[in-house]
Amino acid sequence: MNKFLTTFRHTYLSKVKAKSFIITTIIVMLLIILAGNFNKIMNLFDGSEEIGTVEVEASDAFTAQFSEVLDRFSGEMSVVESDGDIVVTVEETVPVSAVVESEFNINAAQQAEIELALDEMNRMMVMETLDLSAEEASLMMAEVSVDYETSVSPAEGEAEAGAEPNYLNVVIFYITVFVMFFIVINYASQIGTEIAMEKSSRVIEMIVSSVSPVNHLFAKILAIICVSLTQLFFFVVTIIAVIYLVDIGELISEFGLEANDRTVPMIIYSLIFLLLGLVLYLSVSALLGSFVSRMEDLQQALLPVTMMSLGGMYLGMFNLFDPGNLLVRITSYFPFFTPFVMPLRVLDPDTSHVTVLIGIVVVLITIGIAVYFAARIYKGSILSTDQGIIKNIKKFNKGE
Amino acid sequence: MSLVLSNLTKQFNDFTAVDNINIEVPRGSMYGFLGGNGAGKTTTFRMLLGLLAPTAGTITYDGAKIGYDMTDKIGYLPEERGLHPKLQVDEQIQYLARLKGMKRQEIDRQLDFWLEEFEVPENKQKRIEKLSKGNQQKIQLIASIIHEPELIILDEPFSGLDPVNVEILKKAVKELNRNGATILFSTHRMDHVEELCEELCILNKGRQVVSGNIDDIKADFGQKELIIEGQHDISFLKEFPGVLEMKQNRNTIVIKIAEEKYAEDIFHEIVKLGYFKRFQVNEPSLNDIFIAKVGRQYE
Repeated sequence: MNKFLTTFRHTYLSKVKAKSFIITTIIVMLLIILAGNFNKIMNLFDGSEEIGTVEVEASDAFTAQFSEVLDRFSGEMSVVESDGDIVVTVEETVPVSAVVESEFNINAAQQAEIELALDEMNRMMVMETLDLSAEEASLMMAEVSVDYETSVSPAEGEAEAGAEPNYLNVVIFYITVFVMFFIVINYASQIGTEIAMEKSSRVIEMIVSSVSPVNHLFAKILAIICVSLTQLFFFVVTIIAVIYLVDIGELISEFGLEANDRTVPMIIYSLIFLLLGLVLYLSVSALLGSFVSRMEDLQQALLPVTMMSLGGMYLGMFNLFDPGNLLVRITSYFPFFTPFVMPLRVLDPDTSHVTVLIGIVVVLITIGIAVYFAARIYKGSILSTDQGIIKNIKKFNKGE
Repeated sequence: MSLVLSNLTKQFNDFTAVDNINIEVPRGSMYGFLGGNGAGKTTTFRMLLGLLAPTAGTITYDGAKIGYDMTDKIGYLPEERGLHPKLQVDEQIQYLARLKGMKRQEIDRQLDFWLEEFEVPENKQKRIEKLSKGNQQKIQLIASIIHEPELIILDEPFSGLDPVNVEILKKAVKELNRNGATILFSTHRMDHVEELCEELCILNKGRQVVSGNIDDIKADFGQKELIIEGQHDISFLKEFPGVLEMKQNRNTIVIKIAEEKYAEDIFHEIVKLGYFKRFQVNEPSLNDIFIAKVGRQYE
């Protein structure tokens, strides 16, 4: 146990103290802070100013009516008689044409509000000119009613109608998958490098004369997983800090994100699959890393990890708005895709908890198998300087 | 008690790397393993440490099987040199010594001592990759002996070092042995074995050719070397009984004889010729034994 902790500590500290770890963590933390302040930053680059008062050059009747209409469309702008931030000169009333004069750029939202108010004025002016009654006017404005009659059975129709996912849950899924992919790609190569480097520099022979190879391997895998979780911890702390310190309520409501009854299970399952995905992929990377004797071969050896995680991520991303389809249902049970695809299925209200639990069990069993083989193969391969991955696999499969 | 290897065999597919080795290494002794490339030295050491499982036979130390519970008592310098290239010397030693159960302060104290001993105290904070090959080797040797092990296994400890550094390392190895450590080492150099070891084992293609106490081996070997220096013509000795080989060097003649008793006959024969400056009977060199046993020149 003591030796396990020694290797764990050594690997963990050397990785956490590495410049690359500190730099990437700081960069991502800065990106999170930037994203949290997105609207403020956009405003910085927006040269426009907020308009509070509008001066209208028109007949008194028009001005009074416009004031009412503008109040309906905008809470910030009000009509004043003089010294307005902008001057709206109405040149004609039927149809309305106006010139807006200002000393600065008007921001897009307020510009749209002014235009809407003027549109409404135009409609009112035209109605007045044509002498239409309120009923006639409402008939003209009525929405067209269209019924679609298709021969799809009601169940399927309903399923499709109910397939509109909750956007907050989608965002949670998106973040989970992205973070998992980022960590897997980054740390798979780190753990592979760590193991291959010890092998190619031959220091491993000294190490395994003190500590058993399996003990050493597990300490290394656990240390790298903890390093990745440390990084994740910093990201999560930054996200929470951004939520509390920066008012992102506006930003969230702008995207229409609201929690529903699946949000909590979604967060829990996402975290579980994130952890399982990391353990699975890092164990497999350790296994593959122990096959190579030269650092140059490492990237080639790690290709399966890259391909699988890329495939899993794309499966998740491409089926984001159709989480119940057959491809998603099948691939969610393929252990290397499960951590990426199963959280997607949680988005679908038709997915039962049993399905998700089966997914968890499938991944756990695969982790067990991967760890067993990693330990078995690592033990035999560390002293081998055979080049060629296939040769090594064949050799250690025979239990030499 | 001691380290005992009995009927030790290791096969890789059809290839027998180590073939039925039987050795007993007495506690506190210095034991040399001699053999060319592929003789089975490294494979034997790896089996000793449990890094390879023997195909047949047993290895015991103090009567018990060697396992990870006793690795703190063992120090090992592998033939294939290597350390973590990116680590500083002190970080590397701290890590490897902690794996042997040492405490931080103790490691630091011992490291300072050994760096002084090996005349490289300035390297303590340097990265391993910045050191010369010889200095890396010194650091690796420190890593394998810093925890004061009872049993030290050194695979080719002196290869790749200049003569000055070989002397420094030899001095350290002798010191460790004097302090009670049992030392097992393999080497390419016969003179190192002759100088350092009381016991030895010569391996050839996995087979144990000769083993035991060096003096006994030499005595049992029988052959002696006769060195004669004088002005008289003694070429007739070529045909003399017991003479195996005769070589003329610049001023001396070296004769190999099958047994010491023939030296006496030769002596009586040549004194009849007159004055000889030198008549000396030498023990056979390990090189002679090696050639005789293995049937070819070693290096």
